[in-house]
Amino acid sequence: MLRTLLNSQQAGLLFVILLIGTILSLSAGDHVNRVTGEVVNNFLNSYTLMQTATDASFFVIMAVGATVVIISGGIDLSVGAVYALAGVMTAMMLRAIGPESPFVAVVLALGMCVGIGVLCGLINGAMVVGLRVHPFIVTLGTMWIFRGVAFVTSKAESILVPPSLTDVVKWSIGGDALYPMPMIIMLIITAAGAIYLSRTVMGRHIFAVGGNVDASRYAGLRINRILIGVYILSGLTAGIAAFVGISYYGSASCADATGYELYVIASAVVGGASLRGGRGNAVNAMLGATLIVLIRQSIRTLHLDQNYEWIIIGCAIIAAVVLDQMNQHFTTRRLAKEA
Amino acid sequence: MNRLLLCLTGLIFILSSGCGQKAEQPSDNTLTIAMIAKSSTNPVFLSARTGAEAAAKELAAQHGIDIVIDWRTPPTEDGQVQAQRIAQAVNEGADVVLISCSDAAKVTGAINDAVDRGVPVMTFDSDAPDSRRFAFYGVDDIKTGQLVMEELARVMDGKGQVAILAGNQNAPNLRKRVEGVIQSAKQHPDISIVGTFYHIETPQDAAAEVVRVNNAYPEINGWAMVGGWALFTQTLLTDLDPDKMKIVSVDALPPELPYVEQDIVPVLWAQPTYLWGYESVRLIIDKVHLNKEIPVINPMELVRVSKDNLGDWARQLRDWGFTDVPEMYLQMDSKQ
Repeated sequence: MLRTLLNSQQAGLLFVILLIGTILSLSAGDHVNRVTGEVVNNFLNSYTLMQTATDASFFVIMAVGATVVIISGGIDLSVGAVYALAGVMTAMMLRAIGPESPFVAVVLALGMCVGIGVLCGLINGAMVVGLRVHPFIVTLGTMWIFRGVAFVTSKAESILVPPSLTDVVKWSIGGDALYPMPMIIMLIITAAGAIYLSRTVMGRHIFAVGGNVDASRYAGLRINRILIGVYILSGLTAGIAAFVGISYYGSASCADATGYELYVIASAVVGGASLRGGRGNAVNAMLGATLIVLIRQSIRTLHLDQNYEWIIIGCAIIAAVVLDQMNQHFTTRRLAKEA
Repeated sequence: MNRLLLCLTGLIFILSSGCGQKAEQPSDNTLTIAMIAKSSTNPVFLSARTGAEAAAKELAAQHGIDIVIDWRTPPTEDGQVQAQRIAQAVNEGADVVLISCSDAAKVTGAINDAVDRGVPVMTFDSDAPDSRRFAFYGVDDIKTGQLVMEELARVMDGKGQVAILAGNQNAPNLRKRVEGVIQSAKQHPDISIVGTFYHIETPQDAAAEVVRVNNAYPEINGWAMVGGWALFTQTLLTDLDPDKMKIVSVDALPPELPYVEQDIVPVLWAQPTYLWGYESVRLIIDKVHLNKEIPVINPMELVRVSKDNLGDWARQLRDWGFTDVPEMYLQMDSKQ
């Protein structure tokens, strides 16, 4: 049991995250808190740890949906654009309606973000299934379309959202600038994703389709319905991430989340999802995103030349995937020998 | 798997340690200014960084303190990333934050959080007027747009068809400059605006947009450029006929100087971008170290660059740290 736990991929990723955290804590130096006068570590302090979790939360929420798509053998390049479109449309609707009740504003915003995300996911899924075009092409196209719609409707303005949204998502612990809500939402979505994938029939169907689509068809699974469903889930998580993002930062613009799709896919892949389908895990996607954000954080905390950020992240992603493939290869050989 | 991931960790840190020089740890007598420009791939902000570091060196010697410029600019423009960088800087003990806002609405919350935690914030180039920053240093963008159009109207003898090259549609400062161009054009009844054209803010995208628009609207004989992106390439030197087309642009960086010499761009309105850093650091020291009162809005004046002062401007750019100023312009005499 313990051996299985220690050999699990989660343990490996957690180990790396803790190792980087330890190195950062030891090397980061310290400073005097301007308010309390206490000497605090530049990395190992509640503000930095919370900020790291917050930065990761937007990627993680979307990465859970992206992982579901990747497990099914597809890809969704439009998640960043869905985020932008859901955010912009919600901000515009709230500006037009101007709800007086904070509760109504939050419910409307969440409903609108989720609704637009689901609609975009439905469009993606329907096109992948209906047009029989590779999802890379379909979502590449919708990525531009969704962002274009966000641009045209918002006229490229950055639109403020009501303060009641910010009050909820930037709810602070003890009135201090510590905002745990994005992290809490991230953990809830990750847990929901993990349960959905590992404990439900629908989740197992997705693995089956990603593992072998023909076998799944012969087994009587409704492939089209499952594929549409995974893109809806991806849109749903992008919509939730948009709600958290616009509420936390207080505004929405059509340029939001530009390029995030690459970080989201990278998070899933670093977390062990196979782009060939049939393999992936929501918790691992969370750890993958946290690892990427931590690498970005370490470049700044250690005062390294940040011009090397892209090179370091790119190398880390390739290395993670290659090492994971090697591990799979050796495990398969070991199991074959044991058999 | 654990062993494999351990190797990955090692790789990350070998790469990290090999790729960058670690900054010195600040001492107690250190004032750390976290500088967050819009994009580290835009040369104007590299010039601002040079200015900030020069001011830090001068003022440190003058006041007997260490001043560290902690460069935290994202590689590409992203207001959300800027907000994250403000929080990171505060978490890691920065004493002051100096920022040019890609999206004022996105960074306002982070600026206010920093101020609440005792870290003053100043803006330069692009302001966040609804935040609690203590000062702003930069040009008046509407006035900048008006100056561009006034100069263009003069070189076009007050008549013709004008297109506006407008950069990124999300940048509030560029939108104000476009507004200034349009306002000023209304004062010239024989000048009409064909359209405002946005593009990705890279030299190649901007130059391609100019060529595309010229092909689509052959009647255009003037361009009002609220940023100099298209002129950072050399392609328009051969694509445009100075007898038929006139351009007036904001910015006057080294690659733009041949356009002035060949009279395709008779006038450039230069933002002394070095001063974004230099003057901002000076204002920060006045406010934070010397406890002086400083104005909230600190206007930066544009410099008019034409053939008459091309040599002077080239030498000024060299002195501000630009290494790519063509030698022929450095040797030019000034006519003024």
